[in-house]
Amino acid sequence: MQKYISQHNLNTLLDTLIAKGTRVVAPRMNAGTPLYEPLTSASEMITDQLPRRSAKEAFFPLCEDIMSYEKEGQQVTVTDIDPNRFPETVLVGVRPCDAAAIPVLDAVFSWDYKDEFFLERRRKTTIIGVACTVADDACFCTAVGLSPAETRGSDLFLTPLEGGGYACETYSEKGEALIAGNSDLFAEPTNAKAVPLAEPGTEKLDLAKVKAWLDEHFEDPLWDGIATRCVGCGACAFICPACHCFDIVDEGTEKAGKRRKSWDACGFWKFTHHASGHNPRDLQPKRYRNRIMHKFKYYDDKFGQTLCTGCGRCVRVCPVGIDIAQIIEKIEKGTGD
Amino acid sequence: MTQPIDTSIYSAVTEAIRAEAQRILSAGEVSAIVGYAAARRKGSAQPIVITDAADTAKLIFSASCVNNLAVYLTKAKKDIPKKGRIGIVVKGCDLKALVGLMGESQLKREDLYLIGVPCAGVLASTVQPATELTAETIAPKCTECDTRLPQGCDFVPAQTPATPQLERKYAAEIARLEALTPAERWAYWKEQFAKCIKCYACRQVCPFCFCEQCLCDRNKPQMVETTPRPAGNTAWHIVRAMHLAGRCAGCAECERVCPMDIPLNLLNRKMAKELKELFDYEAGFEVNDKGPLATFTEKDDQSFIK
Amino acid sequence: MCDHTNKNIYLPYLATVAEIVDETPDVRTLRLVFQDEQVRENFAFRAGQFAEYSAFGAGESTFCIASSPTRAGYIECCFRSVGRVTEELRRLEVGDSMGVRGPYGNSYPIEEFFGKNLVFVAGGIALPPLRTLIWNCLDLRDKFGDITIVYGARTEADLVYKRELSEWQERGDVRLVKTVDPGGDGPEWDGRVGFVPTILEETAPAAENTIALVCGPPIMIKFTLPVLEKLGFSDDQVYTTLENRMKCGLGKCGRCNVGNVYVCKDGPVFSARQVKAMPMEY
Repeated sequence: MQKYISQHNLNTLLDTLIAKGTRVVAPRMNAGTPLYEPLTSASEMITDQLPRRSAKEAFFPLCEDIMSYEKEGQQVTVTDIDPNRFPETVLVGVRPCDAAAIPVLDAVFSWDYKDEFFLERRRKTTIIGVACTVADDACFCTAVGLSPAETRGSDLFLTPLEGGGYACETYSEKGEALIAGNSDLFAEPTNAKAVPLAEPGTEKLDLAKVKAWLDEHFEDPLWDGIATRCVGCGACAFICPACHCFDIVDEGTEKAGKRRKSWDACGFWKFTHHASGHNPRDLQPKRYRNRIMHKFKYYDDKFGQTLCTGCGRCVRVCPVGIDIAQIIEKIEKGTGD
Repeated sequence: MTQPIDTSIYSAVTEAIRAEAQRILSAGEVSAIVGYAAARRKGSAQPIVITDAADTAKLIFSASCVNNLAVYLTKAKKDIPKKGRIGIVVKGCDLKALVGLMGESQLKREDLYLIGVPCAGVLASTVQPATELTAETIAPKCTECDTRLPQGCDFVPAQTPATPQLERKYAAEIARLEALTPAERWAYWKEQFAKCIKCYACRQVCPFCFCEQCLCDRNKPQMVETTPRPAGNTAWHIVRAMHLAGRCAGCAECERVCPMDIPLNLLNRKMAKELKELFDYEAGFEVNDKGPLATFTEKDDQSFIK
Repeated sequence: MCDHTNKNIYLPYLATVAEIVDETPDVRTLRLVFQDEQVRENFAFRAGQFAEYSAFGAGESTFCIASSPTRAGYIECCFRSVGRVTEELRRLEVGDSMGVRGPYGNSYPIEEFFGKNLVFVAGGIALPPLRTLIWNCLDLRDKFGDITIVYGARTEADLVYKRELSEWQERGDVRLVKTVDPGGDGPEWDGRVGFVPTILEETAPAAENTIALVCGPPIMIKFTLPVLEKLGFSDDQVYTTLENRMKCGLGKCGRCNVGNVYVCKDGPVFSARQVKAMPMEY
């Protein structure tokens, strides 16, 4: 279904949803940092900056309680978290690189065991993506087969138009339901031209070729060359729309507390460290190799998808300038570093 | 009104670094050189470890050379083998960190070949790497710099760096915070620490966080919660600021790398201010055997013992 | 998980510690009985599977289910106290509650072993992941041919399941070869002295129509696989069970992978052929 919505009506839509108690999450400024956060008013939404963190946290938060426990003598009571805890949510202003990562994550969170923390939020969330009209040279969505107009993952996709407003296209029942439920705010499509899309400077890579190299090069001097620079923080994994590794810990006292899951990263030395002292990935090059392998080989082996959407956040945030786009390009072109 | 900063010497500095690096590596005076090279993004730079003299042509110095390379010489980086003398490119701020590490017996001066750079400043983390260096785009730490020409190096290019007089950003912000009530100040820091995602980028780039297993990475006992929640985040940053007090050289890498724009260097600069007032100590180019918080003298103020 | 009504895959079952056996000074067996009647009746697993055991307040730890699925009414775990959770588990007393999540992972393809001879090779604390299968097979004894167990530890004190070693020794239908290395000084030591792979080679079980099950520290595996190869075992005749650092145990937290193999989902039981195809990352 194709429609048109003016900026004014979009704001009205969001404010109406907020008034109804729907959680509306969009890019907004938080003390000088752009983030995807719940809005209290549509006027808070910003459209000109890529949020520092991805949209994955609307489904996979930094930290959440998964149960609580209480001990009394020899008895323990374990209490589940309220299954109705997740509110109806509209995630709006989502960049294509962020939206496309969400269906990629569906695969691992529903692999045999259904992680309802992720999946229930998915069921209750409608995603409104928006095409990118600005990019910087860290962006490389085009290298991984996506684009500033990628609609994958969006229930409703907005394309900014010259003169204001957006062309809207639905890609799911949820998108259609959103329009149907607010039909007075949507008009028939206009003839207005789209604002020119951003042009990331990277050319499309043959990811099958990258994977074929990774299949054969578990051991390779490339890993020492790049990864020696890596200082082993979790910045790249945490701000990545596709990284999903997590830790489970008990926090509280001996008598009562919570079990929580929170973001973790394969870059940390502790990630694979056994209590016995043995660590299969004891040096940083081995840990960094795992990052590249997971994204461009293992996730493909397991789920037929690439675990990267080219948003460029890791490139921008890496303390030591490790550039994943540069790495996969070097692999694909066959030139070692 | 943009005030550009003169970085015209940087291309000559680059040439001088390359020539010297080529010389010492070919002559076998060093087995490796840690420096900066250009990266894929326009105007950007990244750390590089060179062992082949042919690769010295890759070395650069520009306003994007933000990294403190000292971190690559600490024992926390076990995967960089340290055989023989290592050459390292250092700005004044980086050199102060190296001096601190020497004082803590982590490095020996004779194992290093210091290539100092005359530095007019580097870019802030908030701007794109290809941005022109101006009073507005310069890193906040550079506004308080007093070490544009590093001392005591084995080689420094002959160029003289520009020394623009800039508004001291940290001093101004510390004064602003000091003027707040404790409740207001606490509210400010609570808001900042609530943003922390526990990525530990601040710790991993810090040359002084060289403990092979960080106290906060242990779970017997669990000193600080690992999950990114406000109370644990606050504890983490306070613990780190205390562990750095009297050691931190002010390279401000922690603040640069924080993905959430937390003004971490404010904490460290405030601690440095306290250390100066209480113990007349500041990080510099003289190797001190022990930092002030690792020593006790009879002259120390004991008025707090009631 | 047998409780399909609970949508929280991370919620453990509660179990009571019914019995404690100190296998060695730092290795303990806990026999656990599920507190919920439905779970007691319906909990089913296969030999080789593992569970996540909770010491509430400290966290969860991953061990195999060490008892046999043929024994109803309880499960057992066996662990060395080496970290925060296992030390907390060691503080539990009979009657205390703990948590169990599982069963997870794949299992030994026991049906494929019917009619074959079995050789179990284990070292030290690595006997439990095989012990579940040993009892499973002994409880179905007539389905298998010759059963040989080669088990060793550094000293006599380090041998686990000491009572069961005697039981196995006294049965007429199992050949048990015990060894210590170095150890063996005690006057009552009636076993061999030597490194497990060496003793295995001397024991020389026939490879024809035989499956070998191996579990031990990496150094033992490294020397045992070539011995089996020398004795004529093909890579499809040899199985092992790997362990790795785990948290979720069910394929999501991304931690336990060896290359593209998730030890918690694709394993922990692997054939030697599968292990040899994995990168050296375990």
